[in-house]
Amino acid sequence: MNYPFWDVDIGYGILMPLIAVIHVFVSHFAIGGGLYIVVAETAARKAGDTMRLEFLQRLSKFFVLVSVVFGALTGVGIWFIIGLLNPGGTEVLIHNFVFGWASEWAFFVIEILAAIIYYYGWNKLSPREHLIVGWIYFVAAWMSLFIINGIITFMLTPGEWLTTGNFWDGFFNPTFWSSLVLRTGICISLAGLYALLVASRYPSSPFKAKTVRYNAIWGLAGLIVVFLSFFWYKNAIPGDVMAHLAETISMPFTAIDQLYVYSAILAVGFIVFGLFIPKTFHPVTGVILMIVGLLWFGAYEWFRESARKPYVISDYMYANAIAVADVESLQENGLLPSIAYRTGDDGADLYRRVCRTCHTMTGYRALKPKFDGTDVDFIAAIIRGMHAMKGNMPPFPGTEEESQLLAAHIYNQVDHRHIKTIYNFEGIELGRKVYEIRCGKCHVIGGYNDKTESLVDLSDEEYNDLLDMAGDLGEEMPDFTGDDTERQALIEYLKTLTEGGAQ
Amino acid sequence: MNLPDYHFFPAPLWLITTLHILTLTLHFAAMNFMFGGIVVILFCKLQDKWQHPVVLQFVKLFPTAMAATVTLGVAPLLFVQLVYPQQIYSASIISGWFWLLIFVVAIISYYFLYAGSFSKTGGNKLGTYLTVALIGLLYISFVYSSVFSLAEHPTLMKTLYAGNQSGLIINSHIGSYIFRWLHMLLGAITVGGFFVGLLGRHDNRIFPVGKRFFLWGMIITMVIGVVYMFTFGEYLRAYMRSPAIWWLLVSFILSLASLHFFFKRRFVISGSMLFISLLGMVINRHIVRLIFLNEHYNPATIPVQPQWSVFIAFLLCFLLALGAVWYMLRMYFAPKHASSPR
Repeated sequence: MNYPFWDVDIGYGILMPLIAVIHVFVSHFAIGGGLYIVVAETAARKAGDTMRLEFLQRLSKFFVLVSVVFGALTGVGIWFIIGLLNPGGTEVLIHNFVFGWASEWAFFVIEILAAIIYYYGWNKLSPREHLIVGWIYFVAAWMSLFIINGIITFMLTPGEWLTTGNFWDGFFNPTFWSSLVLRTGICISLAGLYALLVASRYPSSPFKAKTVRYNAIWGLAGLIVVFLSFFWYKNAIPGDVMAHLAETISMPFTAIDQLYVYSAILAVGFIVFGLFIPKTFHPVTGVILMIVGLLWFGAYEWFRESARKPYVISDYMYANAIAVADVESLQENGLLPSIAYRTGDDGADLYRRVCRTCHTMTGYRALKPKFDGTDVDFIAAIIRGMHAMKGNMPPFPGTEEESQLLAAHIYNQVDHRHIKTIYNFEGIELGRKVYEIRCGKCHVIGGYNDKTESLVDLSDEEYNDLLDMAGDLGEEMPDFTGDDTERQALIEYLKTLTEGGAQ
Repeated sequence: MNLPDYHFFPAPLWLITTLHILTLTLHFAAMNFMFGGIVVILFCKLQDKWQHPVVLQFVKLFPTAMAATVTLGVAPLLFVQLVYPQQIYSASIISGWFWLLIFVVAIISYYFLYAGSFSKTGGNKLGTYLTVALIGLLYISFVYSSVFSLAEHPTLMKTLYAGNQSGLIINSHIGSYIFRWLHMLLGAITVGGFFVGLLGRHDNRIFPVGKRFFLWGMIITMVIGVVYMFTFGEYLRAYMRSPAIWWLLVSFILSLASLHFFFKRRFVISGSMLFISLLGMVINRHIVRLIFLNEHYNPATIPVQPQWSVFIAFLLCFLLALGAVWYMLRMYFAPKHASSPR
């Protein structure tokens, strides 16, 4: 905990993708676009197609402006943002992979210079030289993907590195190859998308029809590669990780569903507007397909990121930058002494260290609604047992006393009125809300850690006994600290439950 | 399971430091060309400035110089973060928003440089494009000076952070880095003067402009550099006793010699001396950082677990990059036949 914590109102889960998704959208195009342009130029030169060469020259200007400027600098932006949001995780990566990154930088140098020479070389270099520079560009750009892919996939599946600490074990990890093929497919598809946008500005003509059709084929080809390699990629993630995800968290699966939906929209768009009616391909259609492409790629990145939860580096470091190896010692000796940057408010310092990476109080993944109407003891108990909660949460890396301090900090920011007053519920509805707040964090009816079976067909007395001894039922179980109104409403609600979880 | 420790350097510290210093010097050379060139072009008094071929040549070169600055800036940032992560990350978090805004401002500046480069109208519009780009670059350089200076003061970082955690803090000890910042800017303008003189060596209107900026830039840079040195306070004595003072002396002599050869129009010798003098200043800067951090952190205490196979892979990639760069530049600048490529 050697770093200060950047306490911004925007959730880290929004800030990071905001820069990262835009960067990868441009940078993958920068790779696929390199292949597209050099293949298309070869064909155009063979056919002596000057119109197409003019189109490619225009595309290369767009290409330089988008990839060399925006792509390169948003890449720098990623460097900045990961250092701000998770310096601990970045430090682990940089110590292990600095020469990987340095190698990527060497290819980046080639890539940038080649892109500039390619663009300025249209009227200066011979066709052969121009094509050579184009190929140099593509190979360098793809090599930078090759390297960065090793580091990104390491974060989800570090594989043997966890036992050997060897660079190559971490780099060529279980998802390396499948991810490389998948990302190459994304590059190809995005090249088609960007080229479609540039072609859309041409007036309707046989040339436009031919170019649009050609670009749509690139888009579709990439999409097919992505579709097939995604299954390979998913299967390469260790089975126990996927099984655990299926049990605890819905996010990666929602992301997969979205990936399928956006893939389908893109496929239909490529086929209908690109292959069937290419002459009328309008810039608006191009922009819409670009937006869908961004969402499509974003869904994949979302899957990758959420599948890693609760880690920033699987099985090594949690998202809140607490190393797995340190948890036990922190639980014994306390987290506060290890925080280098203290503010004088211990509760707030603990909150930033433990929760803030993934949660805000009222905005992104808000904690306030989860604890409105509850009390310090309940919040503290939930904190101590947070590893048992739904949503794949890390363990609390502190002492019992620290959990009370953190709970008091959270309690100060939640609504202190009665749950009944806050939500204006009565009877069973109120009971359902009480269940959601007090029990549902760890026991989802019909879902995660469902305990319905043991809750049906009990008498009032048995329900009361159950609530009286709730805290003794398991190490992570909090006492029932609600008042009589909450208790009665909860019992009313529990009585409506039937075996199997149906209500 | 015994998880691997990450508190190590994957190569000896001297090697990482050498890589850092070399790449940082290259970054500064590109940055000085761009920043200094823009200042000289904007502020020189020249009739029909925006029609002058050397001025237009500079305007065309600025986006490429920006690309070189950004590209060559990645590697030193990587190496400095490896050796000083706790200092660099902490300082950047304290000034989080200002730090993050750097890449946004850089994008804007970059596009304005391209707008100037693509502009066919010339005239005042070019001046406006360059001015906007310059304002952006001033912002970036100021935040860099502020953050990197803050990184050398761990106690100050803790005090500032305790007062505000939102990343809206700029290093409040402006006296400790304002001269550092000015020294960097003026140094860049000096080098900009050199390049303007170099590219305009056959033009008797432009060459004196470059000469003037080179000469006066250097004099003022040296004065500001001395003032900056006296802001070291308690660290001045340690600085005077360190090898940094020798590097400073070498850089000082080389700078003057560079000026001499520039006036003699021996540009290769002058440029080489200027580059070595820049290298000396980067080394000087590195030693100053070690002196400032001495009580808090000594990178030499971090264990080394060499990853030689990975380093060799990097070296091969680097040599490949040098070869590719040389090959492409040679191809691009080789005299061409009259026939059109298309």
